[in-house]
Amino acid sequence: MIWQQIVNGIVAGSAYALVALGYSLIYGVLGLINLAQGEIYMAGAFGLWIAAAVLGLPLPLAVLFGLLFSAVVGLSMERVVFRPLTGRHPLIPLLAAIGLSIFLQSVALLAFGPETRPFPLEFEPQLWNLGPVTLSTLQLLLVTTALALMGGLFWYVHASRHGQALQAVAMDREAARLVGIKPHQCVAQAFGIGGMLSGAAGMMMAAYYNATYPYMGVLPGLKGFCAAVLGGAGSIPGAILGGLILGLSENLGAAYIHSGFKDGYAFAILIAILLLRPQGLLGKSK
Amino acid sequence: MAAYILHLAILGGMYVLLAASLNIPVGLSGQVSLGHGAFFGIGAYISGLLAIHYAVLPFPLLLVLAGLGSAAVAVLLSPPALKLKDEYLAVVTLGFGLIFELGLKNLAFTGGTDGLYGLPNFGMQGADFLWWVWGAVALCLFVTSRLRKGQFGRNLTAIKESERTARTLGIAPLPLKVGCFALSALFAGIAGSLYAHYITFINPGVFGLHTSILLLCMVVLGGMGTVLGPLAGGILLFLLPELLQEFADYQDLVYGGLLIVILIFRPQGLLGRAPGQGRRRFPLRRRTQPAPASTSNA
Repeated sequence: MIWQQIVNGIVAGSAYALVALGYSLIYGVLGLINLAQGEIYMAGAFGLWIAAAVLGLPLPLAVLFGLLFSAVVGLSMERVVFRPLTGRHPLIPLLAAIGLSIFLQSVALLAFGPETRPFPLEFEPQLWNLGPVTLSTLQLLLVTTALALMGGLFWYVHASRHGQALQAVAMDREAARLVGIKPHQCVAQAFGIGGMLSGAAGMMMAAYYNATYPYMGVLPGLKGFCAAVLGGAGSIPGAILGGLILGLSENLGAAYIHSGFKDGYAFAILIAILLLRPQGLLGKSK
Repeated sequence: MAAYILHLAILGGMYVLLAASLNIPVGLSGQVSLGHGAFFGIGAYISGLLAIHYAVLPFPLLLVLAGLGSAAVAVLLSPPALKLKDEYLAVVTLGFGLIFELGLKNLAFTGGTDGLYGLPNFGMQGADFLWWVWGAVALCLFVTSRLRKGQFGRNLTAIKESERTARTLGIAPLPLKVGCFALSALFAGIAGSLYAHYITFINPGVFGLHTSILLLCMVVLGGMGTVLGPLAGGILLFLLPELLQEFADYQDLVYGGLLIVILIFRPQGLLGRAPGQGRRRFPLRRRTQPAPASTSNA
Protein backbone atom coordinates (compact mmCIF):
# COMPACT_ATOMS: atom_id res chain seq x y z
CA MET A 1 0.00 0.00 0.00
CA ILE A 2 2.62 2.50 1.02
CA TRP A 3 4.86 1.50 -1.90
CA GLN A 4 1.97 1.96 -4.31
CA GLN A 5 1.39 5.45 -2.92
CA ILE A 6 5.07 6.21 -3.38
CA VAL A 7 4.92 5.12 -7.02
CA ASN A 8 1.83 7.28 -7.61
CA GLY A 9 3.56 10.15 -5.84
CA ILE A 10 6.61 9.89 -8.07
CA VAL A 11 4.46 9.94 -11.21
CA ALA A 12 2.52 13.03 -10.09
CA GLY A 13 5.71 14.56 -8.74
CA SER A 14 7.55 14.27 -12.04
CA ALA A 15 4.81 16.34 -13.70
CA TYR A 16 5.02 18.96 -10.91
CA ALA A 17 8.78 18.97 -11.35
CA LEU A 18 8.47 19.78 -15.06
CA VAL A 19 6.11 22.67 -14.34
CA ALA A 20 8.42 23.81 -11.55
CA LEU A 21 11.35 23.84 -13.98
CA GLY A 22 9.37 26.20 -16.20
CA TYR A 23 8.85 28.54 -13.25
CA SER A 24 12.48 28.31 -12.21
CA LEU A 25 13.88 29.09 -15.65
CA ILE A 26 11.73 32.19 -15.97
CA TYR A 27 12.24 33.26 -12.37
CA GLY A 28 15.98 32.85 -12.85
CA VAL A 29 16.29 35.19 -15.82
CA LEU A 30 13.46 37.61 -15.12
CA GLY A 31 12.67 37.41 -11.41
CA LEU A 32 9.08 36.90 -12.48
CA ILE A 33 6.61 34.36 -11.14
CA ASN A 34 4.64 33.47 -14.23
CA LEU A 35 1.43 32.24 -12.63
CA ALA A 36 0.06 31.57 -16.12
CA GLN A 37 2.38 28.56 -16.36
CA GLY A 38 -0.55 26.28 -15.53
CA GLU A 39 -2.33 27.55 -18.63
CA ILE A 40 0.64 26.51 -20.79
CA TYR A 41 0.24 23.06 -19.23
CA MET A 42 -3.37 23.15 -20.38
CA ALA A 43 -2.34 24.47 -23.81
CA GLY A 44 0.05 21.54 -24.26
CA ALA A 45 -2.70 19.05 -23.53
CA PHE A 46 -5.09 20.81 -25.93
CA GLY A 47 -2.36 21.06 -28.57
CA LEU A 48 -2.00 17.31 -28.47
CA TRP A 49 -5.77 16.92 -28.57
CA ILE A 50 -6.06 19.16 -31.67
CA ALA A 51 -3.27 17.28 -33.43
CA ALA A 52 -4.67 13.84 -32.66
CA ALA A 53 -8.43 14.36 -32.79
CA VAL A 54 -8.75 17.10 -35.41
CA LEU A 55 -5.71 16.64 -37.64
CA GLY A 56 -5.52 12.88 -37.12
CA LEU A 57 -1.77 12.76 -36.52
CA PRO A 58 -0.12 9.71 -34.91
CA LEU A 59 1.25 9.90 -31.34
CA PRO A 60 4.85 11.07 -31.97
CA LEU A 61 3.75 13.86 -34.33
CA ALA A 62 0.90 14.84 -32.00
CA VAL A 63 3.34 15.15 -29.10
CA LEU A 64 5.64 17.24 -31.24
CA PHE A 65 2.72 19.46 -32.22
CA GLY A 66 1.74 19.83 -28.55
CA LEU A 67 5.29 20.83 -27.62
CA LEU A 68 5.45 23.42 -30.39
CA PHE A 69 2.02 24.73 -29.48
CA SER A 70 2.94 25.23 -25.83
CA ALA A 71 6.25 26.84 -26.79
CA VAL A 72 4.38 29.28 -29.04
CA VAL A 73 1.95 30.11 -26.23
CA GLY A 74 4.89 30.70 -23.87
CA LEU A 75 6.74 32.87 -26.38
CA SER A 76 3.72 34.99 -27.22
CA MET A 77 3.05 35.55 -23.52
CA GLU A 78 6.52 36.96 -23.18
CA ARG A 79 6.34 39.10 -26.30
CA VAL A 80 2.84 40.52 -25.82
CA VAL A 81 2.51 40.86 -22.05
CA PHE A 82 5.74 40.55 -20.10
CA ARG A 83 8.20 42.37 -22.32
CA PRO A 84 6.29 45.69 -22.08
CA LEU A 85 6.28 45.22 -18.29
CA THR A 86 10.04 44.80 -17.86
CA GLY A 87 11.42 46.83 -14.99
CA ARG A 88 8.12 47.58 -13.30
CA HIS A 89 7.33 46.95 -9.65
CA PRO A 90 7.42 43.12 -9.24
CA LEU A 91 3.75 43.01 -8.31
CA ILE A 92 2.67 44.31 -11.73
CA PRO A 93 3.90 41.37 -13.86
CA LEU A 94 2.64 38.98 -11.17
CA LEU A 95 -0.86 40.40 -11.52
CA ALA A 96 -0.57 40.50 -15.30
CA ALA A 97 0.22 36.77 -15.15
CA ILE A 98 -2.95 36.24 -13.14
CA GLY A 99 -4.92 38.22 -15.73
CA LEU A 100 -3.30 36.19 -18.48
CA SER A 101 -4.26 32.97 -16.78
CA ILE A 102 -7.92 34.03 -16.50
CA PHE A 103 -7.81 35.16 -20.13
CA LEU A 104 -6.35 31.90 -21.46
CA GLN A 105 -8.75 29.78 -19.43
CA SER A 106 -11.70 31.59 -20.92
CA VAL A 107 -10.22 31.34 -24.43
CA ALA A 108 -9.99 27.58 -23.96
CA LEU A 109 -13.49 27.52 -22.53
CA LEU A 110 -14.89 29.38 -25.56
CA ALA A 111 -12.91 27.33 -28.07
CA PHE A 112 -13.38 23.84 -26.62
CA GLY A 113 -16.32 24.06 -24.21
CA PRO A 114 -16.36 23.09 -20.54
CA GLU A 115 -16.56 19.31 -20.96
CA THR A 116 -13.77 16.93 -20.05
CA ARG A 117 -12.32 15.18 -23.08
CA PRO A 118 -10.74 11.74 -22.94
CA PHE A 119 -7.20 11.29 -24.20
CA PRO A 120 -7.51 11.25 -28.01
CA LEU A 121 -5.19 8.33 -28.72
CA GLU A 122 -5.73 4.64 -28.07
CA PHE A 123 -3.34 3.37 -25.47
CA GLU A 124 -3.45 -0.05 -23.82
CA PRO A 125 -1.26 0.17 -20.72
CA GLN A 126 0.15 -3.14 -19.56
CA LEU A 127 0.17 -3.79 -15.86
CA TRP A 128 3.09 -5.39 -14.08
CA ASN A 129 2.90 -6.76 -10.60
CA LEU A 130 6.20 -6.23 -8.86
CA GLY A 131 5.70 -7.56 -5.36
CA PRO A 132 3.67 -4.96 -3.44
CA VAL A 133 3.48 -2.53 -6.36
CA THR A 134 1.44 -2.50 -9.55
CA LEU A 135 3.21 -0.57 -12.25
CA SER A 136 1.69 0.35 -15.61
CA THR A 137 3.65 0.93 -18.79
CA LEU A 138 2.06 4.35 -18.90
CA GLN A 139 3.51 5.31 -15.50
CA LEU A 140 6.89 4.02 -16.55
CA LEU A 141 6.71 5.92 -19.81
CA LEU A 142 5.75 9.16 -18.06
CA VAL A 143 8.53 8.98 -15.51
CA THR A 144 11.17 8.12 -18.13
CA THR A 145 9.98 10.95 -20.37
CA ALA A 146 10.17 13.37 -17.46
CA LEU A 147 13.66 12.15 -16.56
CA ALA A 148 14.78 12.49 -20.18
CA LEU A 149 13.43 16.05 -20.35
CA MET A 150 15.15 16.97 -17.09
CA GLY A 151 18.42 15.47 -18.33
CA GLY A 152 18.07 17.35 -21.60
CA LEU A 153 17.45 20.60 -19.78
CA PHE A 154 20.41 20.02 -17.49
CA TRP A 155 22.66 19.46 -20.48
CA TYR A 156 21.24 22.48 -22.27
CA VAL A 157 21.69 24.88 -19.37
CA HIS A 158 25.13 23.71 -18.35
CA ALA A 159 26.81 22.66 -21.58
CA SER A 160 25.33 24.59 -24.50
CA ARG A 161 26.26 28.17 -25.33
CA HIS A 162 22.67 29.35 -25.22
CA GLY A 163 22.17 27.72 -21.85
CA GLN A 164 25.27 29.33 -20.45
CA ALA A 165 24.03 32.69 -21.68
CA LEU A 166 20.80 31.96 -19.81
CA GLN A 167 22.76 31.32 -16.63
CA ALA A 168 24.79 34.47 -17.14
CA VAL A 169 21.64 36.57 -17.39
CA ALA A 170 20.27 34.90 -14.28
CA MET A 171 23.41 35.77 -12.36
CA ASP A 172 23.84 39.35 -13.48
CA ARG A 173 21.79 40.90 -16.22
CA GLU A 174 23.99 43.95 -16.75
CA ALA A 175 27.27 42.03 -16.75
CA ALA A 176 25.78 39.57 -19.26
CA ARG A 177 24.87 42.50 -21.49
CA LEU A 178 28.45 43.77 -21.25
CA VAL A 179 29.84 40.54 -22.68
CA GLY A 180 27.43 40.69 -25.61
CA ILE A 181 24.51 38.57 -24.45
CA LYS A 182 21.09 39.94 -25.33
CA PRO A 183 18.92 39.52 -22.22
CA HIS A 184 15.68 39.73 -24.23
CA GLN A 185 16.65 36.69 -26.27
CA CYS A 186 17.44 34.76 -23.12
CA VAL A 187 14.15 35.69 -21.57
CA ALA A 188 12.33 34.55 -24.72
CA GLN A 189 14.32 31.32 -24.62
CA ALA A 190 13.33 30.72 -21.03
CA PHE A 191 9.67 31.21 -21.92
CA GLY A 192 9.96 28.92 -24.94
CA ILE A 193 11.74 26.11 -23.08
CA GLY A 194 9.72 26.58 -19.90
CA GLY A 195 6.57 26.48 -22.04
CA MET A 196 7.62 23.21 -23.65
CA LEU A 197 8.35 21.61 -20.28
CA SER A 198 4.99 22.66 -18.85
CA GLY A 199 3.24 21.60 -22.05
CA ALA A 200 4.95 18.20 -21.83
CA ALA A 201 3.73 17.87 -18.24
CA GLY A 202 0.21 18.76 -19.39
CA MET A 203 0.25 16.13 -22.13
CA MET A 204 1.60 13.53 -19.72
CA MET A 205 -1.09 14.18 -17.17
CA ALA A 206 -3.81 14.35 -19.85
CA ALA A 207 -2.80 10.78 -20.74
CA TYR A 208 -2.41 9.70 -17.10
CA TYR A 209 -5.79 10.94 -15.88
CA ASN A 210 -7.40 10.51 -19.32
CA ALA A 211 -8.81 14.05 -19.10
CA THR A 212 -8.31 17.31 -20.99
CA TYR A 213 -10.35 20.37 -19.93
CA PRO A 214 -9.93 24.17 -19.75
CA TYR A 215 -9.28 24.39 -15.99
CA MET A 216 -6.90 21.44 -15.81
CA GLY A 217 -3.88 23.72 -15.40
CA VAL A 218 -5.00 25.68 -12.34
CA LEU A 219 -3.92 23.36 -9.53
CA PRO A 220 -0.85 21.84 -11.25
CA GLY A 221 0.23 25.41 -12.03
CA LEU A 222 0.01 26.47 -8.39
CA LYS A 223 1.65 23.28 -7.18
CA GLY A 224 4.44 23.61 -9.72
CA PHE A 225 5.04 27.08 -8.31
CA CYS A 226 5.11 25.61 -4.78
CA ALA A 227 7.58 22.99 -5.94
CA ALA A 228 9.83 25.65 -7.44
CA VAL A 229 9.85 27.76 -4.28
CA LEU A 230 10.18 24.67 -2.08
CA GLY A 231 13.31 23.54 -3.89
CA GLY A 232 14.74 27.04 -4.13
CA ALA A 233 13.49 29.49 -6.75
CA GLY A 234 15.77 29.53 -9.77
CA SER A 235 17.50 26.24 -8.93
CA ILE A 236 17.08 23.38 -11.41
CA PRO A 237 17.87 20.44 -9.08
CA GLY A 238 15.75 22.25 -6.49
CA ALA A 239 12.73 22.31 -8.79
CA ILE A 240 13.02 18.57 -9.44
CA LEU A 241 13.43 17.77 -5.76
CA GLY A 242 10.55 20.10 -4.85
CA GLY A 243 8.27 18.45 -7.41
CA LEU A 244 9.00 14.97 -6.13
CA ILE A 245 8.55 15.94 -2.47
CA LEU A 246 5.25 17.56 -3.34
CA GLY A 247 3.95 14.59 -5.34
CA LEU A 248 4.98 12.14 -2.63
CA SER A 249 3.66 14.13 0.29
CA GLU A 250 0.25 14.77 -1.20
CA ASN A 251 -0.26 11.12 -2.14
CA LEU A 252 0.91 9.87 1.24
CA GLY A 253 -1.02 12.60 3.06
CA ALA A 254 -4.21 11.80 1.16
CA ALA A 255 -3.81 8.10 1.90
CA TYR A 256 -2.84 8.27 5.56
CA ILE A 257 -4.07 11.59 6.98
CA HIS A 258 -7.15 12.99 5.26
CA SER A 259 -8.00 12.82 1.57
CA GLY A 260 -10.06 16.04 1.67
CA PHE A 261 -6.90 18.05 2.28
CA LYS A 262 -5.01 16.52 -0.66
CA ASP A 263 -4.50 19.88 -2.36
CA GLY A 264 -3.50 21.53 0.92
CA TYR A 265 -0.47 19.39 1.88
CA ALA A 266 1.66 20.97 -0.82
CA PHE A 267 1.05 24.40 0.66
CA ALA A 268 1.40 23.30 4.28
CA ILE A 269 4.85 21.88 3.54
CA LEU A 270 5.70 24.94 1.51
CA ILE A 271 4.77 27.29 4.35
CA ALA A 272 6.75 25.25 6.87
CA ILE A 273 9.84 25.21 4.63
CA LEU A 274 9.63 28.92 3.90
CA LEU A 275 9.43 29.80 7.56
CA LEU A 276 12.37 27.57 8.47
CA ARG A 277 14.48 28.01 5.36
CA PRO A 278 13.23 30.96 3.27
CA GLN A 279 15.61 30.40 0.35
CA GLY A 280 14.15 26.93 -0.29
CA LEU A 281 15.81 23.54 0.13
CA LEU A 282 18.58 23.93 -2.46
CA GLY A 283 18.49 27.70 -2.94
CA LYS A 284 21.42 29.89 -2.07
CA SER A 285 20.80 32.49 0.60
CA LYS A 286 21.29 36.02 -0.57
CA MET B 1 -35.21 47.41 -10.39
CA ALA B 2 -34.75 49.65 -7.36
CA ALA B 3 -34.31 46.54 -5.22
CA TYR B 4 -31.68 45.25 -7.64
CA ILE B 5 -29.76 48.54 -7.50
CA LEU B 6 -29.96 48.50 -3.70
CA HIS B 7 -28.61 44.95 -3.71
CA LEU B 8 -25.73 45.96 -5.99
CA ALA B 9 -24.95 48.96 -3.79
CA ILE B 10 -24.75 46.77 -0.68
CA LEU B 11 -22.74 43.95 -2.21
CA GLY B 12 -20.52 46.38 -4.09
CA GLY B 13 -19.92 48.22 -0.81
CA MET B 14 -18.71 44.99 0.77
CA TYR B 15 -16.20 44.45 -2.02
CA VAL B 16 -15.06 48.06 -1.75
CA LEU B 17 -14.62 47.54 2.00
CA LEU B 18 -12.57 44.40 1.36
CA ALA B 19 -10.44 46.11 -1.29
CA ALA B 20 -9.93 49.13 0.98
CA SER B 21 -8.86 46.86 3.84
CA LEU B 22 -6.44 44.97 1.59
CA ASN B 23 -5.02 48.30 0.48
CA ILE B 24 -3.67 48.89 4.00
CA PRO B 25 -0.93 46.22 3.90
CA VAL B 26 -0.51 46.17 0.10
CA GLY B 27 -0.51 49.89 -0.55
CA LEU B 28 0.85 51.37 2.67
CA SER B 29 3.49 48.96 3.94
CA GLY B 30 4.07 47.01 0.70
CA GLN B 31 3.00 43.52 1.85
CA VAL B 32 1.26 41.52 -0.87
CA SER B 33 -1.49 39.15 0.18
CA LEU B 34 -3.14 36.56 -2.04
CA GLY B 35 -5.15 35.19 0.88
CA HIS B 36 -7.35 38.10 1.88
CA GLY B 37 -10.49 36.08 1.15
CA ALA B 38 -9.62 33.94 4.18
CA PHE B 39 -9.94 36.88 6.61
CA PHE B 40 -13.26 37.75 4.98
CA GLY B 41 -14.27 34.12 5.60
CA ILE B 42 -13.03 34.04 9.19
CA GLY B 43 -15.26 37.03 10.00
CA ALA B 44 -18.23 35.50 8.22
CA TYR B 45 -17.92 32.12 9.94
CA ILE B 46 -17.27 33.60 13.41
CA SER B 47 -20.34 35.78 13.06
CA GLY B 48 -22.46 33.02 11.56
CA LEU B 49 -21.49 30.38 14.13
CA LEU B 50 -22.00 32.76 17.06
CA ALA B 51 -25.40 33.79 15.71
CA ILE B 52 -26.45 30.14 15.37
CA HIS B 53 -25.22 28.95 18.77
CA TYR B 54 -25.85 32.10 20.87
CA ALA B 55 -28.99 33.69 19.48
CA VAL B 56 -29.04 36.38 22.17
CA LEU B 57 -26.01 38.26 20.83
CA PRO B 58 -26.94 41.54 19.13
CA PHE B 59 -25.74 42.35 15.62
CA PRO B 60 -23.27 45.15 16.49
CA LEU B 61 -21.54 42.87 18.99
CA LEU B 62 -21.22 40.11 16.36
CA LEU B 63 -19.74 42.65 13.95
CA VAL B 64 -17.11 43.66 16.50
CA LEU B 65 -16.34 40.06 17.51
CA ALA B 66 -15.98 39.00 13.87
CA GLY B 67 -13.56 41.85 13.24
CA LEU B 68 -11.56 41.19 16.39
CA GLY B 69 -11.45 37.44 15.79
CA SER B 70 -10.15 37.94 12.29
CA ALA B 71 -7.58 40.46 13.50
CA ALA B 72 -6.48 38.06 16.25
CA VAL B 73 -5.81 35.35 13.66
CA ALA B 74 -3.76 37.86 11.66
CA VAL B 75 -1.73 38.83 14.73
CA LEU B 76 -1.05 35.19 15.58
CA LEU B 77 -0.11 34.05 12.09
CA SER B 78 1.57 37.03 10.52
CA PRO B 79 4.81 37.56 12.53
CA PRO B 80 6.68 34.62 10.97
CA ALA B 81 5.07 35.14 7.54
CA LEU B 82 5.86 38.85 7.38
CA LYS B 83 9.57 38.17 7.54
CA LEU B 84 9.19 36.93 3.98
CA LYS B 85 9.19 39.28 1.01
CA ASP B 86 7.20 39.88 -2.15
CA GLU B 87 6.69 36.65 -4.06
CA TYR B 88 7.38 34.45 -1.02
CA LEU B 89 4.81 36.30 1.04
CA ALA B 90 2.41 36.06 -1.91
CA VAL B 91 2.76 32.29 -2.04
CA VAL B 92 2.49 31.84 1.73
CA THR B 93 -0.70 33.90 1.90
CA LEU B 94 -2.01 32.03 -1.13
CA GLY B 95 -1.31 28.74 0.64
CA PHE B 96 -2.97 30.00 3.80
CA GLY B 97 -6.08 30.94 1.83
CA LEU B 98 -6.19 27.56 0.11
CA ILE B 99 -5.75 25.61 3.34
CA PHE B 100 -8.42 27.75 5.01
CA GLU B 101 -10.85 26.98 2.18
CA LEU B 102 -10.07 23.26 2.37
CA GLY B 103 -10.55 23.39 6.14
CA LEU B 104 -14.00 24.96 5.75
CA LYS B 105 -14.94 22.26 3.26
CA ASN B 106 -13.75 19.35 5.37
CA LEU B 107 -14.54 20.29 8.96
CA ALA B 108 -17.85 19.32 10.54
CA PHE B 109 -18.62 22.45 12.57
CA THR B 110 -18.34 24.75 9.53
CA GLY B 111 -20.96 22.73 7.67
CA GLY B 112 -18.61 21.34 5.02
CA THR B 113 -19.10 22.34 1.39
CA ASP B 114 -22.74 23.29 2.09
CA GLY B 115 -21.67 25.97 4.56
CA LEU B 116 -24.04 27.61 7.03
CA TYR B 117 -27.71 28.20 6.27
CA GLY B 118 -30.51 30.32 7.67
CA LEU B 119 -28.36 32.91 9.42
CA PRO B 120 -30.43 35.63 11.13
CA ASN B 121 -30.63 39.06 9.53
CA PHE B 122 -31.85 40.65 12.81
CA GLY B 123 -34.93 42.03 11.08
CA MET B 124 -32.83 44.48 9.09
CA GLN B 125 -33.89 45.68 5.65
CA GLY B 126 -31.65 46.29 2.68
CA ALA B 127 -31.42 49.99 3.50
CA ASP B 128 -30.11 49.24 7.01
CA PHE B 129 -27.36 47.11 5.56
CA LEU B 130 -26.57 49.88 3.09
CA TRP B 131 -25.83 52.23 6.00
CA TRP B 132 -23.75 49.68 7.89
CA VAL B 133 -21.69 48.70 4.84
CA TRP B 134 -20.94 52.17 3.56
CA GLY B 135 -20.36 53.40 7.11
CA ALA B 136 -17.67 50.74 7.47
CA VAL B 137 -16.23 51.75 4.08
CA ALA B 138 -16.04 55.38 5.20
CA LEU B 139 -14.34 54.36 8.45
CA CYS B 140 -11.82 52.18 6.61
CA LEU B 141 -10.99 54.91 4.09
CA PHE B 142 -10.68 57.45 6.93
CA VAL B 143 -8.27 55.14 8.78
CA THR B 144 -6.27 54.67 5.57
CA SER B 145 -5.98 58.40 5.04
CA ARG B 146 -4.89 58.91 8.67
CA LEU B 147 -2.31 56.13 8.38
CA ARG B 148 -0.74 57.82 5.38
CA LYS B 149 -0.08 60.98 7.34
CA GLY B 150 2.42 61.97 9.98
CA GLN B 151 5.27 60.02 11.50
CA PHE B 152 3.45 56.73 11.20
CA GLY B 153 2.78 57.14 7.50
CA ARG B 154 6.37 58.14 6.81
CA ASN B 155 7.60 55.08 8.69
CA LEU B 156 5.36 52.85 6.61
CA THR B 157 6.57 54.44 3.38
CA ALA B 158 10.15 53.91 4.50
CA ILE B 159 9.43 50.23 5.09
CA LYS B 160 7.74 49.92 1.73
CA GLU B 161 10.56 51.55 -0.20
CA SER B 162 13.44 49.82 1.55
CA GLU B 163 13.20 47.81 4.69
CA ARG B 164 16.93 47.90 5.28
CA THR B 165 17.03 51.67 5.14
CA ALA B 166 14.06 51.82 7.49
CA ARG B 167 15.92 49.62 9.95
CA THR B 168 19.00 51.83 9.88
CA LEU B 169 16.75 54.79 10.65
CA GLY B 170 15.62 53.03 13.81
CA ILE B 171 12.21 51.90 12.59
CA ALA B 172 11.23 48.38 13.67
CA PRO B 173 9.43 47.02 10.62
CA LEU B 174 7.76 43.95 12.10
CA PRO B 175 5.34 45.56 14.59
CA LEU B 176 4.21 48.08 11.97
CA LYS B 177 3.70 45.40 9.35
CA VAL B 178 1.81 43.16 11.77
CA GLY B 179 -0.28 46.16 12.78
CA CYS B 180 -1.21 46.88 9.17
CA PHE B 181 -2.12 43.24 8.60
CA ALA B 182 -4.24 43.10 11.74
CA LEU B 183 -6.07 46.30 10.86
CA SER B 184 -6.69 44.93 7.40
CA ALA B 185 -8.01 41.65 8.82
CA LEU B 186 -10.24 43.60 11.23
CA PHE B 187 -12.07 45.35 8.39
CA ALA B 188 -12.18 42.15 6.31
CA GLY B 189 -13.75 40.37 9.29
CA ILE B 190 -16.37 43.10 9.60
CA ALA B 191 -17.10 42.72 5.88
CA GLY B 192 -17.49 38.98 6.47
CA SER B 193 -19.99 39.49 9.26
CA LEU B 194 -22.00 41.95 7.15
CA TYR B 195 -21.98 39.51 4.25
CA ALA B 196 -23.08 36.57 6.40
CA HIS B 197 -26.12 38.37 7.82
CA TYR B 198 -27.10 40.12 4.60
CA ILE B 199 -26.99 37.05 2.34
CA THR B 200 -27.98 34.74 5.29
CA PHE B 201 -26.04 31.76 3.97
CA ILE B 202 -22.31 31.27 3.50
CA ASN B 203 -20.24 28.54 1.88
CA PRO B 204 -16.50 28.00 1.43
CA GLY B 205 -16.44 28.91 -2.28
CA VAL B 206 -17.10 32.59 -1.56
CA PHE B 207 -13.90 32.98 0.49
CA GLY B 208 -11.45 31.18 -1.78
CA LEU B 209 -8.63 32.03 -4.11
CA HIS B 210 -10.91 33.58 -6.72
CA THR B 211 -12.05 36.25 -4.26
CA SER B 212 -8.51 36.89 -3.01
CA ILE B 213 -7.28 37.46 -6.55
CA LEU B 214 -10.24 39.66 -7.40
CA LEU B 215 -9.57 41.83 -4.33
CA LEU B 216 -5.90 42.25 -5.13
CA CYS B 217 -6.83 43.23 -8.69
CA MET B 218 -9.27 45.83 -7.35
CA VAL B 219 -6.52 47.39 -5.25
CA VAL B 220 -3.99 47.45 -8.08
CA LEU B 221 -6.44 48.71 -10.69
CA GLY B 222 -7.63 51.49 -8.43
CA GLY B 223 -4.13 52.50 -7.42
CA MET B 224 -2.16 50.91 -4.58
CA GLY B 225 -1.62 53.16 -1.61
CA THR B 226 -4.15 55.78 -2.64
CA VAL B 227 -7.13 56.44 -0.37
CA LEU B 228 -9.85 56.37 -3.02
CA GLY B 229 -8.22 53.84 -5.37
CA PRO B 230 -9.91 50.78 -3.83
CA LEU B 231 -13.24 52.58 -4.17
CA ALA B 232 -12.72 53.06 -7.92
CA GLY B 233 -11.18 49.63 -8.50
CA GLY B 234 -13.77 47.89 -6.35
CA ILE B 235 -16.75 49.52 -8.05
CA LEU B 236 -15.33 48.96 -11.54
CA LEU B 237 -14.46 45.29 -11.10
CA PHE B 238 -17.64 44.57 -9.17
CA LEU B 239 -19.93 46.21 -11.72
CA LEU B 240 -18.13 44.89 -14.80
CA PRO B 241 -19.56 41.35 -14.55
CA GLU B 242 -23.02 42.80 -13.89
CA LEU B 243 -22.82 45.01 -16.98
CA LEU B 244 -21.53 42.15 -19.08
CA GLN B 245 -24.24 39.72 -18.02
CA GLU B 246 -25.62 39.50 -21.56
CA PHE B 247 -22.22 38.32 -22.71
CA ALA B 248 -21.67 35.99 -19.76
CA ASP B 249 -19.53 33.65 -21.86
CA TYR B 250 -17.09 36.43 -22.63
CA GLN B 251 -17.03 37.88 -19.11
CA ASP B 252 -13.75 36.31 -17.98
CA LEU B 253 -12.18 37.02 -21.35
CA VAL B 254 -12.89 40.74 -20.96
CA TYR B 255 -11.92 40.71 -17.29
CA GLY B 256 -8.53 39.05 -17.85
CA GLY B 257 -7.83 41.08 -20.97
CA LEU B 258 -8.74 44.37 -19.31
CA LEU B 259 -6.48 43.59 -16.38
CA ILE B 260 -3.52 43.02 -18.72
CA VAL B 261 -4.22 46.14 -20.79
CA ILE B 262 -4.51 48.38 -17.73
CA LEU B 263 -1.34 46.96 -16.19
CA ILE B 264 0.58 47.59 -19.41
CA PHE B 265 -0.73 51.07 -20.10
CA ARG B 266 -1.54 52.42 -16.64
CA PRO B 267 0.41 50.41 -14.08
CA GLN B 268 -0.03 52.98 -11.32
CA GLY B 269 -3.76 52.24 -11.31
CA LEU B 270 -6.68 54.46 -12.16
CA LEU B 271 -6.14 56.97 -9.35
CA GLY B 272 -2.43 56.51 -8.74
CA ARG B 273 0.05 59.15 -9.78
CA ALA B 274 2.47 58.28 -12.54
CA PRO B 275 6.09 58.56 -11.46
CA GLY B 276 7.25 62.14 -11.96
CA GLN B 277 3.75 63.52 -11.71
CA GLY B 278 3.41 63.48 -7.96
CA ARG B 279 4.96 65.82 -5.46
CA ARG B 280 6.39 63.36 -3.02
CA ARG B 281 4.96 59.86 -3.14
CA PHE B 282 4.83 57.38 -5.99
CA PRO B 283 2.65 54.44 -5.04
CA LEU B 284 4.19 52.01 -7.49
CA ARG B 285 7.81 52.97 -7.82
CA ARG B 286 10.31 50.49 -6.57
CA ARG B 287 13.00 50.02 -9.15
CA THR B 288 14.66 53.05 -10.61
CA GLN B 289 13.55 52.87 -14.19
CA PRO B 290 12.54 55.53 -16.69
CA ALA B 291 8.97 56.70 -16.18
CA PRO B 292 6.49 54.74 -18.30
CA ALA B 293 4.87 56.75 -21.06
CA SER B 294 1.92 58.42 -19.40
CA THR B 295 -1.37 58.17 -21.22
CA SER B 296 -3.47 61.12 -22.24
CA ASN B 297 -5.90 60.76 -19.34
CA ALA B 298 -3.09 60.71 -16.78
